[in-house]
Amino acid sequence: MLRREFVKTLGATGVALYASDLVGDLIAQSPKARVMESRFKGLSDLALSEARRLGCTYADIRFTRNVNDSVAVRDRIVTDSFGFGAGGMETSAGFGVRVIHSGVWGFASSPFVTEGDIKKITAQATEVAKASAVSKRFEVKLAPVEAYQDYWSVPVQQKPEDVSLDDKIAFLMKINEAALKVPGVIRVQSNMAFDYEWKYLATSEGSYLEQEIWRTSPGFTVTALKNGKAKSRTFSVAPKSAGYEVVLNAKMLENVERIANEAVEHCTAPPAGVGLKDLIMTPAHAMLTIHEIVAHPTELDRVVGYEANYAGTSFVKTSDVGKLMMGSKLFNVTCDRTLEGGMCTVGYDDDGVKSQRWPIIREGRLVDLQTNRETAHYIGQTASKGCTFATSWRNYPFLRMPNVHVEPGPPGSPTPEEIIADTRDGILIDGRGSYSIDQQRFNGQFGGDAFWEVKNGKKTRMLSDVTYNAITTDFWQNLDATSGKESWEMFGTTGDAKGQPVQINHPSHGSPWVRIRRIMVGAAFS
Amino acid sequence: MAYSRDEIKQITDKVLNMCKADAVEVRFSGGERSATRFANSSITANLIEHDQEVQITVRYGQKAASATTHQFDDDSLKRTIDAVQALARRKPDNPELMPLVKPPQTYLEFDAALPSAVNFGPAERARMVKASTDICEKKGVLGAGYIPKFDWVDGSANSEGLFTYFHYADASFILTCRTPDQTGSGWAGTTGVKDIKNIDAEMLTNVAADKAIKSRKPRAIEPGNYTVILEPRPAARYLSLMTNSLNARNAEEGRSFMSGKQRGETRLGEKVFGDNFTLRSEIGNPILRQSPIGQDGLAARSITWVEKGVVKNLFYDRFWANRQKKDPTGTTPNMSLVMEGGTTSVEEMIKSTKRGLLVSFFWYIRPVDQMTLLNTGMTRDGLFLIENGEIVGPVQNFRWNESPAVSFNNISALGPQVPMHTGEAYDNPGTALVPAMKLEDFTMTSISPAV
Repeated sequence: MLRREFVKTLGATGVALYASDLVGDLIAQSPKARVMESRFKGLSDLALSEARRLGCTYADIRFTRNVNDSVAVRDRIVTDSFGFGAGGMETSAGFGVRVIHSGVWGFASSPFVTEGDIKKITAQATEVAKASAVSKRFEVKLAPVEAYQDYWSVPVQQKPEDVSLDDKIAFLMKINEAALKVPGVIRVQSNMAFDYEWKYLATSEGSYLEQEIWRTSPGFTVTALKNGKAKSRTFSVAPKSAGYEVVLNAKMLENVERIANEAVEHCTAPPAGVGLKDLIMTPAHAMLTIHEIVAHPTELDRVVGYEANYAGTSFVKTSDVGKLMMGSKLFNVTCDRTLEGGMCTVGYDDDGVKSQRWPIIREGRLVDLQTNRETAHYIGQTASKGCTFATSWRNYPFLRMPNVHVEPGPPGSPTPEEIIADTRDGILIDGRGSYSIDQQRFNGQFGGDAFWEVKNGKKTRMLSDVTYNAITTDFWQNLDATSGKESWEMFGTTGDAKGQPVQINHPSHGSPWVRIRRIMVGAAFS
Repeated sequence: MAYSRDEIKQITDKVLNMCKADAVEVRFSGGERSATRFANSSITANLIEHDQEVQITVRYGQKAASATTHQFDDDSLKRTIDAVQALARRKPDNPELMPLVKPPQTYLEFDAALPSAVNFGPAERARMVKASTDICEKKGVLGAGYIPKFDWVDGSANSEGLFTYFHYADASFILTCRTPDQTGSGWAGTTGVKDIKNIDAEMLTNVAADKAIKSRKPRAIEPGNYTVILEPRPAARYLSLMTNSLNARNAEEGRSFMSGKQRGETRLGEKVFGDNFTLRSEIGNPILRQSPIGQDGLAARSITWVEKGVVKNLFYDRFWANRQKKDPTGTTPNMSLVMEGGTTSVEEMIKSTKRGLLVSFFWYIRPVDQMTLLNTGMTRDGLFLIENGEIVGPVQNFRWNESPAVSFNNISALGPQVPMHTGEAYDNPGTALVPAMKLEDFTMTSISPAV
């Protein structure tokens, strides 16, 4: 059916069906921040009333429009974003309808935004739910939520589209030029990527929500070759929900020469060897460990088995809340969808739940988990923490982690320099490297991007071949130093994969500098 | 419903006619992706996603840019073309941009979209789940699984007159069974099947459930070097770790395991692996449904990468081939991958093992050192100790740190090849023909009590 309609419209100009980027046109025609006057209100009500007519007990419709824009320069050549030998831009728009019928979810999505398609996709989602009921063993239970009509957007100082392509390329080219001047450098890649997301969610429970999100993630990587060894070094820039100001504030140019020299030095750096060492982790490295062995095992859908076939379950049990010691007394972890700049900072989740900030670990003890409307009841809670998201209009929403931060130490905590000065035999680790964790997030092996020996309170030479092994609870129990809020920084990832079909999430993870005592290093290379 | 050849030709012709650039390339991708997911023996997501997109690339000399639209009416296409043409004019020259591929290209014809897969709907998938979870209930385990289905078209055209079209449809059934006491887990699956009749959900459920039951309450044993028997799924994941190293540019630039001693040299022609390791891309293989269309529209051709341990070919992309005065390979090293197998069944491998491990699944494999292909990963969903030719019981999972560059010199037995997905997830093409493998001296570095 879809195919035939598609053929009929080919060559037809001005046909209302499949008007050009209809979502974009409708956005342009809808007053921002007045969700009840938006043209999407009428289209949403059509889906919601159709779902009601078909016997659904819950329905929502989510329109989204994503614009992904990226530029990359490698060895003075503007390279591709999408495999075309060019820079590129992608716009994607459409809608997804989610219903509950017979106590079971159904979901369908389409890029064709017309009244007819909205009815058709709503009916298809309902049919999917009805078909699924044949294998139902429990019914979906949703925690209640208040109905909101609201508009929310990320604060942006400079929209990326307002900066010319010439300026973006010139900036990235300067990084290339500076890096390639350093002897031993054989390759440099610099890039900046921008993601704009607009979405409108309407639910059968009375919420109408419009949101605009900008995300910016720049960076560069230098590869050096010396003595037959090739090593890369990446300058860690925190991706943020913000505009072009992230690029301007990242101090990339100021750091090119240092990063290039470190790449060269890494090629001849001696192996760290195998043994117990104290680890000092910068926030740019700690984000990875926080992501993998704090944030993931505290996702309630994993805890109760929803990811058992792919991303895995968790060593945490629902009965552990309030009891399990996850780390030392210095270990305080907070989930936060409200902090400005966080990649997961939003006004509302895709269930229409208002964003929140809540503790999950206090003085080492697990006190709460990440929940959404569907899972809150598993730990006896009557309200969702707002963790439901879908990557795009195509995808069904499910539980995704928020920004998960390790809190800085209290006033009087040591500075990074003081932590180094207080370490007799340790390794300082910066940036992201190899990482692998078991399916319950208990046995992790992590690498980094650069490593330095710390001997008798001094940062001495670079090292190579560093990985460390972490058994999650033991690892955080060995946390014995956290720096204060002055050195707390937020980093993050743009590629957190979970779900089937796999979807991508973009969480931020803030951290102070931390020290972990006596951890096994180098076993991977033994 | 997927799009026909004529429909794709219409849209690509239209874009080519509307563009005013020196050269144009259009790529179409679209169709239906559906999936059913279940956990704790009940469906948690059942969905249908429709999508279509056209990527338009225009060139002015050595300047190029691309943009994507999901709408194909005249206004949308014109808007996208205007934007991408303006973008391309402002781009600096790209000296690595190759001329468009010219016709004729002779693509192998084969039917990769059988009706049984094309018509595989949510009700049929739900019935499959019901049949599976009923068995789980009888056996006292919890089933968590995934049934993805694709009905998809990839097409392309360029202003030199090239046109490509490839329609494929397939489905998979993968399942993890867990015991309610959370001490046992087992995996089974059939992936990338063109004919749904080849998915036997009940058989797979019995395999996964029995494995979960047998793997309950594993005991810890010491890390160390073990003889391992990799069932086809972990074997496929392990095999995939070396395909990227077959890139000629990386090798010649000194950045790869295949690099030679001096910069510019490679290990082409060297015996790098054992006699029993042979790897090739078999375009048109009757079981694999991967595309016959190679890089930029070149006709993919069958190619032997490694023969009896000797590196026979590296992948030359069009730019690097031109620069090095070679023919472009066309076929990328992950296309229609076939590893030569043997005749030893897993049961026979167990019988011939004095002390070793039977591995059901590898998880979270990540590179540790690109120059040596050192990787790390975990075992999962059923790890069993073998002593004196028999499975003596389940053991706790291990983290391993090992390189296929070492292991593929240590193959002591190979099973018959079976189709198996090589990727971590199951949402992209990537099914290869892979045998179960028995590998000697495989390095297990630490224990994980996680189940």
